[in-house]
Parts: sequence; C-alpha cells; structure tokens
Amino acid sequence: MMVTSTDRSPAPLGISEQVPVIELQDLCVHLGNRLILNQLRGSLKGNIVGLLGPNGAGKTTLLRTLLGFYSAGSGDARVLGHSLRSEGRDIRALVGYMPEDDAHIAGMTAIRWVRFLGELSGLPSDTALERGHEALGYVGLGEARYRKVGTFSTGMKQLVKLAQALVHGPRLLLLDEPTNGLDPAARARFLELVTEVGARGETRILISSHLLGDVERVCDEVVILKAGILVATCDLRTDPDGKQPFVELELSTFSREFIDNIEAQGCGIVIRAKTRIQVELPTGLEIRDLFRAALSCGIGLRRVNLRRDSLQDVFLRAMEDNNASS
Amino acid sequence: MPVLDRVWKRWKGTATSIHGRFFVITRFALADAFASRTFLAFYVLCFLPSLIALLAVYLSHNTAILEQASAIQDWLIEIPEWIFHHLFGWQAMPAFLIAVVVAPSLIAADMGHNALAVVLSRPITRREYILGKLTVLLVLLSPLTWVPALALFGLQASLANGSWGVTNLRIAAAYLIGHWIWMLVISLLGLAVSATVRFATLARGAILAIFLVSAVAGGIINQLTRSSLGDLLHLPKAVTSVVMGLFGAPTPSDLPIMFNWATLIVAALLSLWVLNRRLRACEEIA
Repeated sequence: MMVTSTDRSPAPLGISEQVPVIELQDLCVHLGNRLILNQLRGSLKGNIVGLLGPNGAGKTTLLRTLLGFYSAGSGDARVLGHSLRSEGRDIRALVGYMPEDDAHIAGMTAIRWVRFLGELSGLPSDTALERGHEALGYVGLGEARYRKVGTFSTGMKQLVKLAQALVHGPRLLLLDEPTNGLDPAARARFLELVTEVGARGETRILISSHLLGDVERVCDEVVILKAGILVATCDLRTDPDGKQPFVELELSTFSREFIDNIEAQGCGIVIRAKTRIQVELPTGLEIRDLFRAALSCGIGLRRVNLRRDSLQDVFLRAMEDNNASS
Repeated sequence: MPVLDRVWKRWKGTATSIHGRFFVITRFALADAFASRTFLAFYVLCFLPSLIALLAVYLSHNTAILEQASAIQDWLIEIPEWIFHHLFGWQAMPAFLIAVVVAPSLIAADMGHNALAVVLSRPITRREYILGKLTVLLVLLSPLTWVPALALFGLQASLANGSWGVTNLRIAAAYLIGHWIWMLVISLLGLAVSATVRFATLARGAILAIFLVSAVAGGIINQLTRSSLGDLLHLPKAVTSVVMGLFGAPTPSDLPIMFNWATLIVAALLSLWVLNRRLRACEEIA
C-alpha cells in the first residue's frame, strides 16, 4: 500500500468508457408493507458516484440492499458484474462498507478491530495485521491505532470506519453519509482521502450523502433518488444536460415586450424578481442576440452573467420535475 | 518533501478459504475471553473435578500406592464406579458457570455499537456468524466435559481388565452425547440471551433466571395439576432425565423420556429463533 511516488496508475477512463460498477435492473425493495425502492433502473459508471436525495429517499436502503441486508422484492442489481440475488457473498467480498452510524466494538483497539474485519474479508492473519497498520496510517490514525475505538472522537471513529472499509482492498467502496459529524478541517481531509482512493480507478466509490457540496467536490457522477424513485442521473464532468448553461439578466426596467421577444426566439425564461430573469439559451442563440432584443425594446441590460447550473440547481430541478410528474 | 508518498493500493493476494472463515470470529472471541486473568484462573479451576477423578481412577488401579495407604484402600477400590455415577454433574456445573460468564458478552458486544453492520458486510453469512460464536463456547466447554470424560473412560478401560471398556461402552456414549446436549442447550440459550440483553451482568442473571424460572414454573404446574405436565417446562429436570436415560438409569421425571427430549429441542429451537430475529445487520423499520 505504501509505494513510491512514481507508482501511479494511468489516468482513469472517461465515464462513458468505463464498465458499469452497479447496474440496477428494475430493483424494488419492500420493508414491511412499504415500497422503499421503486423499480430503480440505470447503470452507474463513474469512479466516484454520488447518491443524492432528501431524507427518506432510499439512499441508505439502496446501499444496504446492495450488501444483501435487505432482499430485493423484484428486479435485480449487478454489482461489479455479480447478481445481487445469487451472488451476495461474492459482492460482499469485493465491497468495503462504511455505514452512517457508529459501527465498532468499543473495547477493541483500532488495529485489532481493523485486523479482525480484514481477516473476515479473507486476508490471511499476518497480511490483515500488516494492512490494518497501513490502512490506519493511511487515514491518519497511525498514532492512535492501539487505543480502544470506544475512546475515539466522532471524527476518529469516522476514520476508523474508512480504514476498516479499505483494509481488504475492495473494488467498490460504499460510503453512507461519510462526512457526518466532522468539523470542516476533518471533512476536507476526509474528502481528500476519498478523492485520492477514487482517483486511481482501482477502487470505485459510491457515496450516499445529502451534502451537495461534498458530492460536487469529489464525485464525477451523481444519481438522485426521491421517494424511492431514481429521478435523475448526471455526469458532473461532461454532461451538458445535467449542468445546463444559462444567463442571469438584470434589466433596467421590467419589459413584457422584451420577455415575449426572447421567448419567441426559443429561450426558456424564469422570472426571479421584477427586473431579474434567468434565461436558458437554445442552441444557436447567443448573448449578443439578447442585447439586440433589449435594444429593440428600448431597455438596458444592467448585468449579464453566463452561468451553469450548480449541483444544487440540478438537484432542485430533479425534485421539482418529479413533483410535477407525480 | 516526503521520500515516500502514501498512495492507496488494492490487495491482490489469494483470500483464505470461505469455509473456515467463521473460525476468525471464534479465534478473536477466545482471545478476548482469555485476555482476562481472572477468567483464566477460573477456567483452570474448572478442570479440578476432572483432574481429581483422573487421579482417583489411576490410584484405584495402582496397587503399589494402595498398599502403602491401606487405611483408605477399600474406599479407593470402589472409586471408579462411584466416579462414573457422579462425574457428569461435577463436569456439567463448571461448564454451565463458564457459559454464564462468557456467553453474555459474545453477541452483545457486537450489537452495542452496531458492529454487526460491518461484520455482516463481509463475505460471511448470519449462520456462519452464529456458528463462529457457538464454536467459542463449544471450544471452551469441551475440555471441561466430554474430553476429560472420555479420557477418564479410556484410562479406566486401560487399567481395568480387558473387557471393561467393551461391556461399559454405553457409559462413554452417554458421556459424549449427554455432554454435547448440555453444551448445545446452554450455549444456544446463552447466545440468545446475549443477543437480547445488552448488559453482561443482566444477561448472566437472565441465563440463571431461565433455568430457575423454568424449574419453579414446572414445579408449580405439577402441584396445581397433580401431574408431571410441569416437567415439560422444567429445563434442569429435562436435561437430567435425558442424561440419566442415556446412562440407562431411572429418570427424575415421570414423563416418557421423549417429552424431555422435546423440551430440550424446543428450547434449542427457540434460542435459534431468537438469534435469527435479533441478529440483523440493520433494523428493518417498516
């Protein structure tokens, strides 16, 4: 694990070229009589995929289902090519899981805990010990590895959870709300670690979170869930539809004529305030055309900002679209 | 500037066999148990009945020593038969105490801080997890019960005349089967309680209470109904009856022995049912 700086993997492939890490095939999950995941279909190809959604959307349920904790009511999912229904054990051998809540034995030292889980994953005893030391060192707990996990702070417990998820060298990491309870510095460091692990392309990562900033910072693909339904997927690196460009305009005075004029040219318009509007430009139309329209209507443009949707915009739009369709 | 750069790398070696993976759980739990010196001392003490019995059987066949200790000679010569009648109880009680001490923390510790979620995210099943924990108790209890019992039987057979071993083979079988029944019943009950009661001291009390309450309830039902129906609940009597039946001796229960077997089987199945209900990687909240 500890290698010289020259030992670098080649740059990861683009998302569209990559083998899907998870394929959802009309996956349904019921808990009791409630339908929690409703016919999820899609294929996740990114190196670091963000799983977004409001509380109760089914993010954690999806992760737990991928681990076989909940059984699929109908449909299936393939994780790294293995079927959820028939190859659960094979999936778990390839996956490292960091749950949202505390997950440790309070009386065990960090090194013993990580070694124990390494051995359960199939590492020989001495290798598990060696990699346990390395994993704890890697996440920054080298000095604290002989302390009992029960005495750790929240941030340290999060790091132990990451170390145990990494110790056996999984091909897929499932991280459930990994930055919960971390202070800003610890959060930044944690995200740096995650980015570093994902960057090599050997270990793919699925992060469930409702912290859009975290997801936007580290992920290259995003899946948005709402009420158990997959409402949007978005390639954060290249997808022009996912993060659509738009123009924010501030008019010298409100003009219905100007709005009608640019709407007639195919622009999508959202009126934010009396003199502030957001304009989605159709293909072929440029900002100079907006100036021409303003000139012909006799108004001035006080401010023109060309922007792209932030992840928050994509997320909110997905929530709104879903509301409208439902 | 660092000489080495820390870079994450996957492990690409050969994984250990999946079939013996449950033994990792056993190994770590045993190491935890023996980390306590008090427990180690207590465990060593539990060997005393078996060691004394082995010594007594050896002495009863060693005529040279017996001649020097003529005053107790007659008593010593009678010893093997007497020992084989009473040894089961002497071995069963320390085994029970060890189970009461060890079992409560076996599963409760894993459930206390949701450790099960990451344990079961590994390539092991819940069945293997239970098997791993059950093996802890079986490994601890075997050296106190059937192993020394069979060793004692072997010693007696080798020291006595040639046909003793063959003619008394039933004793060996009764010790083997009886101790395994006893180990399984107390181990499964202990694990079920450990999966239900979080605090070890309370769990220890609960295991004792199960035996006590079942005995009291059984006695009351017997009194009220003026029958032996209460023996169906009476766990200690069921175990004793089954074991006595294996030895071919009269049983303390008036019920046919198959009912005592049924009591033990139901207790074991109930324990497994509780384990199955309680041992989840995560709660299913519908």
